Amino acid sequence: MTRPVDPVLVEIVRNGVMAVTEEMKTNLMRTAYNMIIYEALDFTVGLFTADGQTVSIGLGLPTFIRGMAETIKAKLKHFGKENIEPGDILLTNDAYITGSHLNHMTFSLPIFHEGELIAFACCMAHWQDVGGQLGGVTTDIFSEGIQIPIIKYARRGVVNQDLVDIIRMNVRIPERAMGDLRAQITAVKTGEKRFLELVTRYGLAEVLQAITVIMDQSERAARARTRAIPDGVYEAQSFMDDDGVDVGSPIPIKVRVEVKGDEMIVDLSDVSRQVRGFYNSGITTGHACAQVAFKCLTSPADYPINDGSFRNLTVIVPPGRVVSATRPAPMRWWMTFPMTVIDTVFKAMGDALPDKVIAGHHADLCVSLVHGTDPKDGKFFLAHMGPLGGGWGAKLSEDGVSATVCINDGDTHNSPREQLEAKYPLLIERYALIEDSGGPGEHRGGLGCETVIRALTDVTMNASIDRAHCLPWGLHGGLEGTGNQVLLRRDGEWDKERVNAKVLTVQIRKGDAYALRSGGGGGFGSPLNRPPEKVREDVRQGYVSLPAARDYYGVVLDSVTLEIDQAASAGERAAAIPVHQKRVAAQGQPVRRLSAAELTQKPPGHAPIPCLRIACCGMVSFPFLEDEARD
Amino acid sequence: MTAGQLRIAGDVGGTFTDVASFDPSTGRLALGKALTTPDFLVQGIEAGILKTGSDAADAGLFLHGSTIAINTMLERTGARAALLITKGFRDIYEIGRVNRPDSYNLYFRKHQPLIPRVDRHEVDERLLASGEVLTPLNDAEISALGEKLRRDGIEAVAVLFLHCYRNPAHELRAKRILQEAMPGAFITVSHELSQEYREFERASTVAANAYIGPRVAGYLQEIDSHLRMLGFAGAFLVVQSTGGLFSFDQAQRQCVRMLESGPAAGVVAAQAVCRGARIENAIAFDMGGTTAKAGVISGGQVLTTGTALVGGYETALPVQIPMIDIVEVGTGGGSIAFVSEGGALNIGPRSAGAAPGPACYGLSGDEPTVTDANLVLGRLGATRFLGGEMRLDIRAAEQALYRKIAGPLGMNLIEAANGIVQIAVTQMAYAVKSVTTSRGLDAGNFVLVAYGGAGPLHASALAREIGIRRVLIPRAPGHFSAIGMLFCDLRYDYVQTRFTKLDDLDFGEFEIAFGEMERQGRDAIEQARVSAGSVQIGRALDMRYVGQEHLVTVDVPLEHFGRQDRQAIKQQFDHIHHTRYGTSAPGERAEIASLRSSVTGRLAKPSLEEVGRGGPEPVRAVRQGSRTAWIGDATAETPVYDRELLQSGNRISGPALIEEHASTTVLFPGDELTVDGGGNLLISVASA
Repeated sequence: MTRPVDPVLVEIVRNGVMAVTEEMKTNLMRTAYNMIIYEALDFTVGLFTADGQTVSIGLGLPTFIRGMAETIKAKLKHFGKENIEPGDILLTNDAYITGSHLNHMTFSLPIFHEGELIAFACCMAHWQDVGGQLGGVTTDIFSEGIQIPIIKYARRGVVNQDLVDIIRMNVRIPERAMGDLRAQITAVKTGEKRFLELVTRYGLAEVLQAITVIMDQSERAARARTRAIPDGVYEAQSFMDDDGVDVGSPIPIKVRVEVKGDEMIVDLSDVSRQVRGFYNSGITTGHACAQVAFKCLTSPADYPINDGSFRNLTVIVPPGRVVSATRPAPMRWWMTFPMTVIDTVFKAMGDALPDKVIAGHHADLCVSLVHGTDPKDGKFFLAHMGPLGGGWGAKLSEDGVSATVCINDGDTHNSPREQLEAKYPLLIERYALIEDSGGPGEHRGGLGCETVIRALTDVTMNASIDRAHCLPWGLHGGLEGTGNQVLLRRDGEWDKERVNAKVLTVQIRKGDAYALRSGGGGGFGSPLNRPPEKVREDVRQGYVSLPAARDYYGVVLDSVTLEIDQAASAGERAAAIPVHQKRVAAQGQPVRRLSAAELTQKPPGHAPIPCLRIACCGMVSFPFLEDEARD
Repeated sequence: MTAGQLRIAGDVGGTFTDVASFDPSTGRLALGKALTTPDFLVQGIEAGILKTGSDAADAGLFLHGSTIAINTMLERTGARAALLITKGFRDIYEIGRVNRPDSYNLYFRKHQPLIPRVDRHEVDERLLASGEVLTPLNDAEISALGEKLRRDGIEAVAVLFLHCYRNPAHELRAKRILQEAMPGAFITVSHELSQEYREFERASTVAANAYIGPRVAGYLQEIDSHLRMLGFAGAFLVVQSTGGLFSFDQAQRQCVRMLESGPAAGVVAAQAVCRGARIENAIAFDMGGTTAKAGVISGGQVLTTGTALVGGYETALPVQIPMIDIVEVGTGGGSIAFVSEGGALNIGPRSAGAAPGPACYGLSGDEPTVTDANLVLGRLGATRFLGGEMRLDIRAAEQALYRKIAGPLGMNLIEAANGIVQIAVTQMAYAVKSVTTSRGLDAGNFVLVAYGGAGPLHASALAREIGIRRVLIPRAPGHFSAIGMLFCDLRYDYVQTRFTKLDDLDFGEFEIAFGEMERQGRDAIEQARVSAGSVQIGRALDMRYVGQEHLVTVDVPLEHFGRQDRQAIKQQFDHIHHTRYGTSAPGERAEIASLRSSVTGRLAKPSLEEVGRGGPEPVRAVRQGSRTAWIGDATAETPVYDRELLQSGNRISGPALIEEHASTTVLFPGDELTVDGGGNLLISVASA
């Protein structure tokens, strides 16, 4: 019988492993060469047990919560534990193991103590380029770049130079790739050094035992919170616009959640089959979707993130789904669909856990990639325009947050516009919130953003954005926010109507521009119950337009003083009830797209608002243009 | 009237106002503590001066630090301000960096701008990244806007134009026009505070300056007038977050530079004490009721940073100006211990604050805190807290500890109390280590200078945890920031973004840019009307490898510029990169993002009065009896000493407790303490 573990030591080890992964994160970030790692923080670092259980993950990509652990397990299986030696560093970017794309180079360093394998330090980071087709939509993995099977980057401390040479020859900007590689090695070595310090200070048996206790504590907490959820089966569905190949064919996302006692099952069997375009992800990500949703609902503030938290969660994902794709499915844009899967789980739990869930969000990074030749030095450049940030859903007691990165990412930053302009031949004309983009509700959805980017030389642009049609939904009587959108401007004219938000390789000539617009979050509760003072304040700040205040919220304001007309508002609110109910029922349908004529006339920045007057017909109006016309 | 000799420093904190008065002719230092008087802050200063037995009329210098700037920001009690910004960018201040650090929390929040959207106005002007004008500024538009803002009762205006760091002409013109249109209003433009790229951070900086400006400027004016009324005829200087001083009228215009004046002065005090004790590398550790803070002195220099986040990380407003790099952790004497749902023992960051305070304060607090744990362990004396002014209730502490921690976890009281202190110490240890490791420095080679009410209580334990072998407890650890102000120099910092590859660097152009910043600095020093001794110039470059994003600030010796020595600059950068991150790439090209200049006007420094000399054995009166205390792995009858009576040369072996008015120093078994000539307690820590 062993002595019970000292709770004080457990807490010291908890702080210790979190400090280790924090320092790994800091070191990676600061030595990385590409903006995706440094500014966008598209990486994840972690410490794992000798058999690949997650001990602590340094906050990075939530959706990569499983990627490293599964990769370590695969590496253990591949080599056999006995063939992993001190001084080894293991590498792969196998998309079907990490569950993501080939850009995610995943290095694992086995940590040894007196000859015994005791843990792994691991680091995944997104390399900006791994070769493969530039732009467009890929339809198999082979066009997406170099594939590195599970391999030893270093064997007993000796780097495999052949491998390095092969990588260098297969990527477009080898200096950057090698810079990022060095940064990742620094990160895993930092993890090794600091974890061994912890072991030296407190003893191996003690530290490992404390880790076991930390995981058990996380399990207990997760079970207690799951037990508080009413037993039952909960279902919801949504859809993606299309896979970029079969344009206009929606892709169904159906989830089923079963809660029984202190156990939860998330069943993703009815999520769409894998698709032809590059929006697939591997089974590791299918599991990650369920875990992220589960953690958000049961233990959002429990740290470190460890596998104990998920022992009472069962995930069902048969192979061949869009989140459990099999070789040779294309995977480059792996991150988009899982976000909607996670959001759909929240939607399913809307009635069971009203105080924990959130209405739909824009659910896309809304990034664009621009490449071309910089006239300043005649060199090839590849600009990753970073996440735009968009609207988040409202909650039971709070409005949604505006202009914030989607759930795939966490502490991810956009990049300073001044720096983009200094580095690339581009001019940012605008970066702004979109009025009326937030879903109306007692608590309003957050606002989406718009950016307009002008080319100062001929460039090629790619945007692979989804959720133009499946709008961020409202909950409990709240309404939808706006969808994501991409528009092009040629010779001063905004482009024709687009069928979706995917612009897969387009030439943008000098002086022309493109606009990215992220969706707004869904509302929560009926907008007819929002206190009129709050509606007035939203109008005063320009978050909600005057006509929308009347049409959606039933609040009538004086157009000059913004004073609330109480009597008119009361009448408006009563009359609007049936309209509102119709709208709630109509949610989840693809929106009517604007006609080409409408689009060329209406510059972005003025959100289309489906008209609410019962007498009219769901047409689209542009209230601000009308206001201007009156002036 | 001529100014006197005295140097008076006043540090206004949330609860207390500390005053230090120094007479250079005698070396005498007098200290006074008075309650802070929120409605009329200068009253507390006057009371503090009185307590030191000094007269403002005898002072030649009044040095000042205050929490007013940061509190105005955190408590949202600033002016109604407007932001004028380049067309198309009205919302960047609200959009921010779009990050979501609290990744799994669906109830996450982001920063709240100090200037709401309705008060942010676009201006039709545009510069390119090169500084060339794309759209010229329309003077009529600005003056019409100014008119409107004046009519709307706007008290302060911030201006941010894109790429102004390459060409400030538009911002300068807008400022002039606004000043004419809005007489009496507080007008501030971004490039005067930061000439560094990153539009959101610069917008946040200039908006903060506008928001706090009218209140802070008025407050400084009030102090100045009041002191003049008391007969003060000297110079009034304010401590900046860099630990450097600037003149009162400069402080009135660039208020964001004094956000962290108190903590910065504490680090400067630690630097001064270290200089006296011939210590090159030290960690300045300040632990109070709700937080612990740490700054680093490396090679005698205080380490600084270019941006600080004000408010918790998730909702922080960035301020992009140079300041002392201070990390803060939510662990203090008042931090509450609790058992989480999964059965883990946690400490903080929730704090019992001053009311209800720790359970032992007897003010109805029933949650156990770090202070309660120290009392139960006997490290704090129940009858000697604040020199006996406040009696601690040990039974209340024991009950809280038993009910919330020891009972649920099946531990005894001592185990629980010891555990709480140990966990608090490790939490602080990780924070302290992070300030050094993030710079590639080994904390084990540093001396821990501990101050603040709770610093000396935990210093020896903290040193053990980090692997530090030497601890220094300065005199008057509870007044440390006020004392630190006496050691500050005049200092002006400038940053200018200038993207260029090192290979393409035009030394002539850089010389002009640095020269201009240095000229501004010298002028500012002259305007401060204080007889500064020598003026010292520092030059640094923010550098990275080509393609890399993160920047490293590299101090560059002036002669490298004189000799136009590209290679030496590159080597310096490679070296620093290697120290910090363990890698460097000497074969790769480097680029420069910004130039940094610091201009320091040295002021004569006080030499503090020495304490009396004694033998190794303290005189008998020093011994104040003993009490049972749990220190290290055992409980023992532990001797208690009175710090005020210690003399230089005295030695004490641990375990022991050394008490003074606002603090208790704990010596662990095996620790050896020596009192130095300056009255500092030097502790040699036994290895853990």
